[in-house]
Amino acid sequence: MPDKPNLRSTAKAFVYLAPALLVLGTFTIYPIVESFLLSFYTDYDYFHDRVYRLGFDNYLYLLKDPEFHLALRNTAVFVIGVVPISIALSLGIALMLYRPIPLRSFFRTVYFLPTVTSVVAVAVVWRWIFHSDYGLLNFGLGLLGIQPVRWLTDPRWALPALILFAIWKSLGYNIVLFLAGLSNIPETYHLAARLDRAGPWRRFWSITFPLLWPTTFFVSIVSIIGAFKVFDEVYALFGGSPGPLSSALTLVYYIFVKFYREQDYAVASAAAYVLFLITFLLTVIQLWIGRKRTAV
Amino acid sequence: MIMIRRIRFVLALGLILVAAACGKPETTPPAPAGSDKSAPSSAADETDDAAFPTRLRGPVEITFWHAMTGHHEEALKAIADRFMAEHPDIRIKLVGQGNYGDLQEKLTAAAKSKTLPVMAQVIETWVTDYQQNGLVQDLTPYIEHPEIGWTKEELEDIIPVFREANRWDGRFFSLPFSKSTQILYYNTDLFQERGVEVPKTWDELRQAAEKLTFERNGKKVIGIGFENSVGWQFHMWVRQAGGRYIDEATGTVLFDSPEGRQALDFIAGLFKDKIARLAGEDQYMSNPFGRGDVAMYIGSSAGIPFVAKAAEGNIHWAAAAVPAGAKRAVPFAGNAVAVFDSATPEEKLAAWLFIKTLLNTDNTAYWARETGYLPIRRSALESPIWKDFVKDHPANGVGTEQFDAGFFDPRIPGFDAAMKIVQKEIEAVLLGEKAPGAALPDAAAKAQAEIDRAKARSRE
Repeated sequence: MPDKPNLRSTAKAFVYLAPALLVLGTFTIYPIVESFLLSFYTDYDYFHDRVYRLGFDNYLYLLKDPEFHLALRNTAVFVIGVVPISIALSLGIALMLYRPIPLRSFFRTVYFLPTVTSVVAVAVVWRWIFHSDYGLLNFGLGLLGIQPVRWLTDPRWALPALILFAIWKSLGYNIVLFLAGLSNIPETYHLAARLDRAGPWRRFWSITFPLLWPTTFFVSIVSIIGAFKVFDEVYALFGGSPGPLSSALTLVYYIFVKFYREQDYAVASAAAYVLFLITFLLTVIQLWIGRKRTAV
Repeated sequence: MIMIRRIRFVLALGLILVAAACGKPETTPPAPAGSDKSAPSSAADETDDAAFPTRLRGPVEITFWHAMTGHHEEALKAIADRFMAEHPDIRIKLVGQGNYGDLQEKLTAAAKSKTLPVMAQVIETWVTDYQQNGLVQDLTPYIEHPEIGWTKEELEDIIPVFREANRWDGRFFSLPFSKSTQILYYNTDLFQERGVEVPKTWDELRQAAEKLTFERNGKKVIGIGFENSVGWQFHMWVRQAGGRYIDEATGTVLFDSPEGRQALDFIAGLFKDKIARLAGEDQYMSNPFGRGDVAMYIGSSAGIPFVAKAAEGNIHWAAAAVPAGAKRAVPFAGNAVAVFDSATPEEKLAAWLFIKTLLNTDNTAYWARETGYLPIRRSALESPIWKDFVKDHPANGVGTEQFDAGFFDPRIPGFDAAMKIVQKEIEAVLLGEKAPGAALPDAAAKAQAEIDRAKARSRE
């Protein structure tokens, strides 16, 4: 049993924690504080660390900037488009891969590949797949008699194309998590249910799904946070642009453009904090729902 | 429950990740190097021209950040190696930083953390910002120095449009290095087949595009192509129409004019009649042009190697000067070299000596031959290196015929933000989402707002 904390044990613990705290402090906590302060600078000299005036101007600018609204809307559509489908699909695939099927480990590797390959590299392949004249996707649609879709150049289709790409990219990681979750469910429950003549549908909803809930919950939190932070996929798929007419402009892309392309450091920081606030609130809500659910 | 605890941990981790992403621009740690460099920089603040050393007292190493890769990088290294052989006391440390976007990001981060290199490849629009923040060294005292500087002839040998692009209120804060312009690329097979002459005016350009749009073996050929970044080219069309774009001195947006409208209507008309297309998902026009899907396009001369590569085995092509509207006007863009104020006087001297060599007649001709950029000196055009090269590569010589019609983009804060807006509005017109009559005033008003905002931000 551990002793009660005293000065000695606290000091000892602190020594153990120091390396991690130092790294986190320098690379995480300090930047968080700095960019929080930066978001309130309204008149400043960035390179020489001189601030002449503080205020809410940057947040007010965001409130009025149509580009920012577009980024918010696109990000929301992206999250709603990617997360549920990705979770449902990966759960389905995980259920299939969990069963003893031929070439199981081969398929597991195949599904995990998108996760380990570089976004930029696979985006090149997807750009070809989405190509309106020479692409695989339009070729397939053409066989079904569907007119070619200008996936990457039509402002109406750019975001759906991005969502498709992101779902595919996110599957592998989620499948692995679901497979781990599935292996935590004791086989005895299923055997008992079978004895009671429960069909596969019933077994899924009464055993697998409730027992898998903590995993599903975890996957959904991680997926939502990840989806809100989408950037690489946009950058790579549209070749360093936010898509035709900024139709795939996301929050992080907006922050990136403001910071690096337009040297608008304070507005970029303010936008970063808006993003932080949104993900924070959503996570708290999810946690609250999750806790209620787990308590049942 | 264990799971809840685990979720809490994961949640905390997730939040940290989010926060880390938010704080990303700030993650560069304050570097210790700043402390030993800050002392000499205060000495360099003195305006006395004679204050800097003109002779090196010992070996110096200077870092040079650049955005050159592949063969470009090798050529740069060859110039640096030759320089070091002649100057055994100077070591040039070349550091490739990826593409220009990466380079700009790293320079921004380095300026903040006081770890700037001695010199770097820069784009002139960045230099305005650096200069206003006191980050770059004024090179004028070095240029004008009687012993180590350039003679008047050597300075005036630099092509005027390049010289002016690097001068702010009469002072040189950077010097032109790799320069490119817009040229007309055309598919000689298709031109011959359809009996089209190389267009020299807007009318001829339009007629050529009409004749060159046709179907062949079920494959559609489009007359003229535009890069996705067509908004950046708009300046040229406005000037060709006889209008003005953005006034550099006052930052006033001037393109919402009859001439601006004429320019936009001309391009929009090509798209409306389906005789023009954007590079779109092909990223750069060199790809569809090289496949023979597009008969001609106006693009950067820096794209010559890409066009050559894409065209190989597919099509035959050539290049010509950009057609003229009411006026001749062709943009010159590219990059320059600058020395940072944070360097020590000795390092600055070494950097200047290197720049002098880098930009001399032989090296600028060599650099142009190896990379496809334009020589920055008139004397280089007469050099055997360049003359022999252009004989075999006529496309590379096209840009030099346009020096007299050259202009450059205004180097004002907020220009990138303004261009983003112009790009978006023009894209909307070309995609048929917005009428030119609505897009032009919108673009002008929003661009003006961005420039005003940036101006207010950068005011000292």
